[in-house]
Amino acid sequence: MLDAIIDFANTIFQPLIDLGAAPMMFILLTLLAIVMKVKISKALEGGLKLAIALTGIGAVIDILTGNFAPALQDFVKSTGIELTITDVGWAPLATITWGSAYTLFFLLILVIVNLVLLGINKTNTLDVDIFNFWHLSIIGLLVMFYSDNLFVATLLVIMLGVMKFINADVMKPTFNDLLDMPDSNPTTTTHLNFMLNPVIMVFDKIFDKLLPFLDKYDFDAAWLNEKIGFWGSKFAIGIYLGAFVGLLGQQPIATVFTLAFIGGVSLELFSIVGTWFISAMEPISKGITDFMSKRLKGRTFNIGIDWPFLAARPEMWAAANVIAPIMLFLALILPGNGILPLGGIIAIGLTPALLVVCRGKILRMILIGTIMVPIFLWSGTAIAPFVTETAASVGAAPAGLEDGALITHSTLEGPVEKFLAILVGQASEDFSPGPILAAVGALAGYILLFIWYLKQMKKRNKKYEQEKEAA
Amino acid sequence: MIKILAACGAGINSSHQIKSAIEEEMKERGHDVKVDAVVVKDINKEMMDQYDIFTPISKTKFSFEVKPPVVEAGPILYRIPAMADPVFDELENVIKKLDK
Repeated sequence: MLDAIIDFANTIFQPLIDLGAAPMMFILLTLLAIVMKVKISKALEGGLKLAIALTGIGAVIDILTGNFAPALQDFVKSTGIELTITDVGWAPLATITWGSAYTLFFLLILVIVNLVLLGINKTNTLDVDIFNFWHLSIIGLLVMFYSDNLFVATLLVIMLGVMKFINADVMKPTFNDLLDMPDSNPTTTTHLNFMLNPVIMVFDKIFDKLLPFLDKYDFDAAWLNEKIGFWGSKFAIGIYLGAFVGLLGQQPIATVFTLAFIGGVSLELFSIVGTWFISAMEPISKGITDFMSKRLKGRTFNIGIDWPFLAARPEMWAAANVIAPIMLFLALILPGNGILPLGGIIAIGLTPALLVVCRGKILRMILIGTIMVPIFLWSGTAIAPFVTETAASVGAAPAGLEDGALITHSTLEGPVEKFLAILVGQASEDFSPGPILAAVGALAGYILLFIWYLKQMKKRNKKYEQEKEAA
Repeated sequence: MIKILAACGAGINSSHQIKSAIEEEMKERGHDVKVDAVVVKDINKEMMDQYDIFTPISKTKFSFEVKPPVVEAGPILYRIPAMADPVFDELENVIKKLDK
């Protein structure tokens, strides 16, 4: 049945795919927006912006890797540290993922999952953060990279999708607490960031038992952020890391400057191209939200948006700022890591979850965050071949990448889920007992930990209720 | 012209949604506004003081006192017009009070 659908889809889509990713996604996104009753001019605007974003990201990756890849080789030669994977940060990965037609497929599946869960009262969250559906799509694509099995990939995406909705519900009282929001405020988020909460919570509980006295040394995060000032901004970080690679790679002084400035330029350009690409998704997001909210008349619900409403808390930034140099150091000494942190060194794939679990206790956030860094580096290393190949298949990888250079994102949200996807993908490749056992075991562990975490969060939410009644 | 500062976590997604929504709606209501979208972390006192209005997503803590009037713009992100309207109304009131 599914094969027949895929065959049918292939005969329709093959000529489109042959056009290349940017033209294909321009056509598909525009059509989908029109189906969702977006005005034709708006739909076209979105489609065209996606095409130029895809093209633009390719150009910036080209600038970055073209300059960094040779220097990283020299870096390895002169230091003996094998860090050859270029960390391009989140924007290229998001763009590459949106360059795949499967992302639109996973998007539709997840919209249906959301509507069904709301319909049967299993969640109270309507997700309007359409742009971030790529987080689950990349997990589906990763499964398919190993097994070409769309069915299994879809199952994993649905499972994680359901868990994310449940997580959005249990985190809501914490958001109200952290941001002083009244109960009438519907803001929540289904962001994949927060699927790391269960792991962080394990360490938070250990902290409660062993080091509770540390909390009294917490410092004022807003003050620290102000002191750091522009030294922590994107272009500055690009400059340090470019100079770092150049100096340790024993490049001529002119090349050190070039690398420093190219690093700064690339990080700034990635986020500029990132804005095109998000505004490309705007019309379709509006269309899908209208479609969903029309079907939910008369039901009240919370609304899932992107995580940055939490960026209002200075602890999130202070933790990210402090963890950045720690990450660089860990990257140099961590066995099994192949990434030199660059585009992802400000770990916004990690610190929002730390904020939610530790509720702003800054020293805990930094210490537990440090323990989490290796998971991200290993995960980023593990997915590098997949990311590089996918980038090539959507036309976002430059020619320079062919000679074995790899790209990845050092702090991509959902590192644990990436390993799940790899295990599930390997298991569904030939369904042999060993890999199946590994995948089932990993899934069971993942789900059990999540259930334990839900229990803890429900306890926390009950306490919030009691405090409110007492007040 | 009224200068408004929007801010979010990456200066890319949420703040740009707020920027385009405010610019579009205020133009329709006949106000001349310009919105800049930045990363919360990059805001300092100097930058803040250059703006007439600050529109964060949610209550935001800084190490300095925020001088311009603050209008919380989070509900714009829900993408449901009935929920965004109060934000625009409040913003319009503030703009009228500024009397520029």
